[in-house]
Order: sequence, then structure tokens, then C-alpha cells
Amino acid sequence: MTDHTHIEGLLGRVALADRTAFGELYRLTSAKLFAVCLRVLKDRGEAEEVLQESFVKIWRGAGRYQSNGLSPMTWLITVARNAAIDRLRRRQSRPEQSVDVTRIVFADPTPGPEARVIAGSETGVIMACFGELEPSRAEAVRRAYLDGESYDDLAGRFDVPLNTMRTWLRRSLLKLKECLSR
Amino acid sequence: MSDLPQDEEDDRVLAAEYALGLLSSEAAAAFEARLQGEPGLRALYASWAEDFAQLSDELEPVAPPARVETALRAELFGAERRARPGLRWLWGGVAVAGLAALVYFAGADRGPQGPGDPAYVAEMVGGEGAFVVTASYDAGRGALTLDHRSGEVPEGRVMELWLIEGENAPVSLGVMDGGGRAEFTLAGELAEKLRGATFAITDEPPGGAPGGVATGSVLAIGQVSEV
Repeated sequence: MTDHTHIEGLLGRVALADRTAFGELYRLTSAKLFAVCLRVLKDRGEAEEVLQESFVKIWRGAGRYQSNGLSPMTWLITVARNAAIDRLRRRQSRPEQSVDVTRIVFADPTPGPEARVIAGSETGVIMACFGELEPSRAEAVRRAYLDGESYDDLAGRFDVPLNTMRTWLRRSLLKLKECLSR
Repeated sequence: MSDLPQDEEDDRVLAAEYALGLLSSEAAAAFEARLQGEPGLRALYASWAEDFAQLSDELEPVAPPARVETALRAELFGAERRARPGLRWLWGGVAVAGLAALVYFAGADRGPQGPGDPAYVAEMVGGEGAFVVTASYDAGRGALTLDHRSGEVPEGRVMELWLIEGENAPVSLGVMDGGGRAEFTLAGELAEKLRGATFAITDEPPGGAPGGVATGSVLAIGQVSEV
């Protein structure tokens, strides 16, 4: 049994309100999700609060994880990361988006099995594709994802105007996508 | 710049910005509204989310202090009245509700049905996409039809369908023991709970879960949506 299948099975049990499965899911994934929150928030107290908040969302939303076509671990990481970013943006009083993937439900339930199979590249591929970007551009994308930096943060960090930063990043994302799709 | 005139409209970029959390709230809301009707855009978002999630591989796991789990359990399960009931003490209500669904006669206490009545569909998926059961609900007939599209049910077991709605306990809707297709009749009050609910399929001993409490593993799960 792969981790993927095991986590998927646990999420299914959690959707059925199985507290034992929830406990096991917490044991298996909380350290990873805590690392995700810590990286974004850089504050242990806040990261603890957001981790707790994330697992509340996971308990309540486990039945919906299939609906946006994410793999179980990606869904869990995305729940925690988005909750952390939401907290970060509120701390900064920034107007950027707030996305709670546990609440997103689509009228047409899934992208279909084909899309699920093609969703995402093989592990390690994104690293290779990052290698094709200019190091500073790759760094900007990594900081946007891992540290939750906004366009404003990135423009300040790389000392370029906001619009230049947008253009840089968008071009880098396109290059990345082209590489990932090869 | 000028050699990339369409970059703002490029969905590949937009999906990535959405996944990264870089959009303004308005742009994110607009993107989400499009996601509703565009499976291709959802697939694009999902593939970015999967790719970006790999970046988390470089984060060393950090065990959170025990107080987080204690606080979490207190928040979710501490006040029993507010918590979702655990499977253990479901039995009475679930078994009765499940049975009621199966023996209910279509049309008994529903008024006339028209084309405006809600219809629902769900696709339940499990086993890394290998196990698929689809469901559709016809409000006019009060009938829920299930189709087992792919995946193996363990030898000697049957599939049982569960309705999970809000904070309430899972309700058994019936057992599929005849293979490919099954039809359940749903009482009006159960049908009303379909909106926004989740379906799950577990494997159970022949005849269904003893005492109306799911005992097997979850074979597939999926969201119910209105069509």
C-alpha cells in the first residue's frame, strides 16, 4: 500500500467522522503541515494556531477533497499553506486572495479520471525545470510558493518595479509550464 | 512585455498565480467563478498545485508540540453537542434511516414534480482513481441510480453507500450487492439533504454494515452536486 493510497483511505474514514483515522492522519501528516505553516509564518505561535485551524478544516472538509482533483497529500498541503498565507496576508493587511480549498465545491464534480492521472508531473521534474530558469527567477517562484511572498514582497526583495516583477514571474511560470509539459 | 501580449489572459499563468495566492481577491473570485464551469481550467489548476506541492519536499518535517493536538481535539470533540458524532454511537438513527430509504415508495408524500426540481450527480472515486462509482438522482422519481464503473470490490464483500451531510452522522442509503447497477428510492427528507452532501462507499459484509455503522474501508468518495 502506497502512502498515497493510505492517506486517501484515511481521508475517506475521516469523512465518515472516524476519529481514530483522524488521529492517524494527524500523526502521519502534522509534522509536514507544521513545517509548511512555519515556513510561511516564521512564528511558532501563529504556526501552531494555523496548524490547528487547518486540521479543523480537514476534519470538516475531508469529503470534499476529491472535488478539486488534487491528490490527497497535495490537498492537505494546500489546505495548510493557504490557511498560513491567509494569516500572513491578514497580518500584513494585504488585499490578496484568500482560498480555502476545503470549501470549494464544483457543480460538475471532477476533472475526470484522465485529468487526475495527468495532473502533476513526476516527482523531481519541477526541480529539473527550475534549473532551466534564471536562478533569481526560480528563487522568486519558490519564495512565492514556500514563503507565501506577494508580488509586492518580491518586487521589494529583487528591487524592481512591481510591474516588472509581475512580468518576470509570469514569464517564468510560462517557461516552467512549457518545461513541465514536455 | 510586448512579445507576450496575451500573458495576462493566459490561463496557464492565471492558474499558477491563483495556486500561488498572488491574485487580488477580485481576480481570485473571478477565477473561481470560471473554475465552476471549466473542467479544463480545473485540471490546469490541479496540475500546478501538484507541481508546486513538490517544492514542499524540501521542507524538513517539524513535529508540532502536543498542545496543538490537545487543543484540536478539544475544539472538535470537546463539546460533544457541537462535534460530529463518532461512528460508534450512530447506530439507532442510521439503521432506521437507511432502512426507511430502501423501503420507501416513490411519490408517497411528495407533491407534483416538475422540471425545476433539483437533480443531483456525484462521482465517487478511490484507489488512486481506479475505483469509480457514479450516482445520479432523479427528483421526479425520487430515485438514486448508482453505476459501478471500475474497480474491484473485495471478495465476499458488498458496497454500501453513505450520505454525509454537514456536521451530521453518516447515513446509510443502501447496499449494492448485485454488481454493476443499483437504484435506491430516497424519502423526501433524505433527498433534501443531498445538496452539498458527500457520498462515500465502503465495503461491508453481505447484508450491509452490522448495526448501521460503517466497518469496512472507504472504497470511494465524492461530492454531490446539483445539475
